[in-house]
Amino acid sequence: MKPRTLFSWMVRESRGAFGRFAFFVACLAVGVAAVVAIAGLAAGLDSGIRSEARQLLAADLAIESRRALPETFDLARLLPAGSRTAAMREMVTVVAALPKDGKPGRSQLVELKAVERGYPFYGKLAVLPALPLSALLAPDAAVVAPELIGALGLRRNPHERALDFRIGTANFHVAGLVSAEPDRVGIGTAFGPRVFVSMAGLERAGLIAKGSRVSYKTLIALPAGVPADRLDKIAEQLRAALPATEAYRVETFRQAQPQLRRSFAQVGRFLGLVALLSLFVGGIGVAQSVRAWLAGRLDAIAILKCLGLRPREVLTLYLGQTALLGLVGSLIGILLGAAIQAAIPHLFGDLIPAALIQPWQPGALLRGLGLGVGVALLFSLPPLAGLLRVPPSRVLRRDAEPLPVHRATAGFAFVALALGLLGLTFAQTQSLLLSAQFVGALSLATAILAVAATLLAKSIGRLPRFSSIALRHGLGALARPGAATVGAIVALGLGVITVLTMSLVERRISAELGRELPSNAPSAFLVDIQPEQWPGVRALLTRARADKIDSVPVVMARISSIDGRPIDRIAAERKERQDPEKEGNENREERGRRWALTREQRLTYLEKLPADNVVVAGKLWSDPARGEVSLEKSFAEDLGVGLGSKLGFDVQGVPLTLVVTSLRTVDWGTFGINFYLVVEPGILEQAPQQRVATAHLAPGSEQHVQDLLAAAYPNVTFLRIREILGKILGVLQRIGLGVRFLGGFTVLSGIAILAGAISAGSVRRGREVALLKTLGMTRRQVATAFAVEYALLGGVAGLLGAGTGAALSWGVITRGFELPWEPDFARLALAVVLSIGLSVIAGLAASVRALERRPIEVLRAE
Amino acid sequence: MTSTPRIELRRLFRRLPSGGRDLTILDGIDLSIAAGEFLAVLGPSGSGKSTLLALMAGLDRPSSGEILLDGRPIQALSEDGLARLRRAELGFVFQSFQLLGNLTARENVLLPLELLDSPGSGERADELLAEVGLADRGHHYPTQLSGGEQQRVALARAFATRPPILLADEPTGNLDGATGRKILEILLGLRERHGTTMVLVTHDPAVAALADRRIHLRDGRIELEERSAPLSESAA
Repeated sequence: MKPRTLFSWMVRESRGAFGRFAFFVACLAVGVAAVVAIAGLAAGLDSGIRSEARQLLAADLAIESRRALPETFDLARLLPAGSRTAAMREMVTVVAALPKDGKPGRSQLVELKAVERGYPFYGKLAVLPALPLSALLAPDAAVVAPELIGALGLRRNPHERALDFRIGTANFHVAGLVSAEPDRVGIGTAFGPRVFVSMAGLERAGLIAKGSRVSYKTLIALPAGVPADRLDKIAEQLRAALPATEAYRVETFRQAQPQLRRSFAQVGRFLGLVALLSLFVGGIGVAQSVRAWLAGRLDAIAILKCLGLRPREVLTLYLGQTALLGLVGSLIGILLGAAIQAAIPHLFGDLIPAALIQPWQPGALLRGLGLGVGVALLFSLPPLAGLLRVPPSRVLRRDAEPLPVHRATAGFAFVALALGLLGLTFAQTQSLLLSAQFVGALSLATAILAVAATLLAKSIGRLPRFSSIALRHGLGALARPGAATVGAIVALGLGVITVLTMSLVERRISAELGRELPSNAPSAFLVDIQPEQWPGVRALLTRARADKIDSVPVVMARISSIDGRPIDRIAAERKERQDPEKEGNENREERGRRWALTREQRLTYLEKLPADNVVVAGKLWSDPARGEVSLEKSFAEDLGVGLGSKLGFDVQGVPLTLVVTSLRTVDWGTFGINFYLVVEPGILEQAPQQRVATAHLAPGSEQHVQDLLAAAYPNVTFLRIREILGKILGVLQRIGLGVRFLGGFTVLSGIAILAGAISAGSVRRGREVALLKTLGMTRRQVATAFAVEYALLGGVAGLLGAGTGAALSWGVITRGFELPWEPDFARLALAVVLSIGLSVIAGLAASVRALERRPIEVLRAE
Repeated sequence: MTSTPRIELRRLFRRLPSGGRDLTILDGIDLSIAAGEFLAVLGPSGSGKSTLLALMAGLDRPSSGEILLDGRPIQALSEDGLARLRRAELGFVFQSFQLLGNLTARENVLLPLELLDSPGSGERADELLAEVGLADRGHHYPTQLSGGEQQRVALARAFATRPPILLADEPTGNLDGATGRKILEILLGLRERHGTTMVLVTHDPAVAALADRRIHLRDGRIELEERSAPLSESAA
């Protein structure tokens, strides 16, 4: 057959089936919309970051590290003439209002940034008054985020020159307000408001001591017209010239914020999976629509075969028709998705920088199209396989039913479906492992729901007869062979599972994060305490009625070698094994391992381990002849070392070799002070060090203690665990909201499927209604019988979904988050009730036409 | 007779499994139909008439025996081979018309022509519709046509590709007497003009009387075979 003929046949075959295809299209469009919205958002953000990369780095190149550039390092020599550089320091610290009447002023944790003239080389700071930062930042001036004014309770006092407050040991006045900076974008990770000072100002504040947590950054702007490959070459030269290559990170704007993009990509990948789920659930609706459609086309197919259409051509005809419909559904979904994508930044403005998103993402639209048509074709394979077996002799004998599909054919169709889904998931996630897990879990959940629904439908027949005619009819309809019960229950159930699981997990974690900390857990961390300050800080805490005060020394060091092999070489080898541009799951782990090798490590030394540590291999401090170190087990795995390995350290310039003599597990949930690396006492005592401390404070007293500390020990950073948990909670809740929003699409697909299934049976329904009415049932009674049926269906889907969802969230909560499980019966019940309500509404809406028909119309047509 | 029969059945059996036992539908049929012959198949319900027709058309497969069309055995052909055979060699008329409800009358007639990719199929369809007296009804859907009109469309479709063989299953069974006679008239006229070999299944002895030869089936066997007098004699 000519393609043109085939095409015109496809179009003809669709005549008079628009009602039925509306569900096909709706099921697909909903899922495609979810996929497109997320893919578009993720891609829009990614390309936004790429195109704004220079502004986001505020430079062409940046060197970042935990140490200042060495004095001997001649940066200018390595840069082309005309390059500009600006140094930058960032740290988290506590600032305070000036003391008043002998009482300490209010204090606030802030993110301090000291900058040199030139910052930012690219992008704009939103500053009031609108002057260059360098003009505002006198050595005693600060430019702060507006919320700091309120947090410190600063008020313009007629006797004062301006708004004054204290950073470290020096007073500063607020010279301007900053509301946006080009190089600060993240998912709500800020510790506190921004404070800008000059380098001289930072010096005055006296915050930087040896071992303080400061990140050093040098921004470099190359003269105009330096080509891109030259930029990469310069970065390469810098990397080679810097002393300990892994301690300094050289980033170019062309890399476009790999970490930021990675974290957005991770969230995007997770949400993309949730969106994909709603598309797959839509696929069930597609399969159901196709099955119902074909059931009505058996005669036509027999005639076509009789007229000489080959089985292969029949399959091509209907597969082509499916593809055509898939295309229509996907296109509608794309339009919907693009609209949602455009709306989302307005809903999550503080989480996603709306200005950064590039709205036009043809790649996302194409992905939606591909996934939509793919799902349509894949899910219609099993029902279409039945076409091969429609006997053409049906034209002579109406009772010639389609032969059962060959086992091999059915098997092939399902294998093709499974492999296809795996392929589509891979296209969405780029990770084979994740795809396999996802498709596996989905298949399992579907199987559970399908088996349970089938058993239920069967067992209904064995129930005693109810006296209520509505109840009897409703139950009977569910159990009727060929009723689309199972498909509708599976689809709706999957929707319930998604929404409910996410909601349960999120609520459980919210409850955990939001609840009062356990009385034995510390409520505050104190970091950057100078050793000589510790007795005073301890006394202050004791006076403030803090208990469970604990403190350990911290020595910053880097691992320099493992078993004599230089760490840089090991890291480089591991890097070679991985393609750094790929962002798969496996890669993330590998990157974490590499980071474990080269990052700045915190070491402590202890005679005895805290109670939340358990030695699982070797023995603590068992070798008197050698310097020993004890490693946390999973950290040792990341490093790739074990008992007996020799770790070389660079303790701020001093080399040190320690041997691993024990491995520990740590219960991190106690919020105690714990370390991956614990060193035998007697080795690090003289190294430059700081102390960290934990304390438990009475609720409500934290601000007061912070104020006291800020006044007496301004270099000590006071972190409130409750507040930090609150920040994490905020981010979590937003992601949770996104997931539930997308999960809503799955429910929507489920509803569309239910409505589709009901309207597919509308001919039978009409006949049934006519018959019941003829026998004297009122319309109200018929509607009640229908409502009972849909309520039962929704109830079963809701119960099964709630059961599976509860089990799944139990797994996630107890295994994934290691929290005790607490059943949330109210939410489970709500899920069941909503499922019932939605299916009754959708069911009755889809049966309106059947209910409206007059008996004579139907009976006459027989 | 020296020329090859158009249709030849040799020791044809068709059995169906039914309740653990085989039900014999056709019980060793031997039949030979010459080119251009008009054969009527008579018999009560369940005697195997429709099955016989289905086997000749390759819509069903025999349990044993041979079916030859123009001397070529067809029982060994694949589904595809049978489909190709039907589209080129066979025309069908059914009791229940079997028009595609979502196609117009003209599109129904076009269907087999499109399958053969034959050029000028549009004109051919219009010509056929005119022949069956529906020249101005081509754009109507089957539901908009009366039973007799639907069967005329079916006749036009059956003759569209000028098939050498036409198989008709009770073509007047669903029509009232007058309409049925009209349809039969058209059918016979078309057959005459095209020189088509025709096998017609019917209950109606009056219809069967118009055939060159009649076979009576009972329980899957040919119970009686009778030949009409040559045309010249019957005309007398």
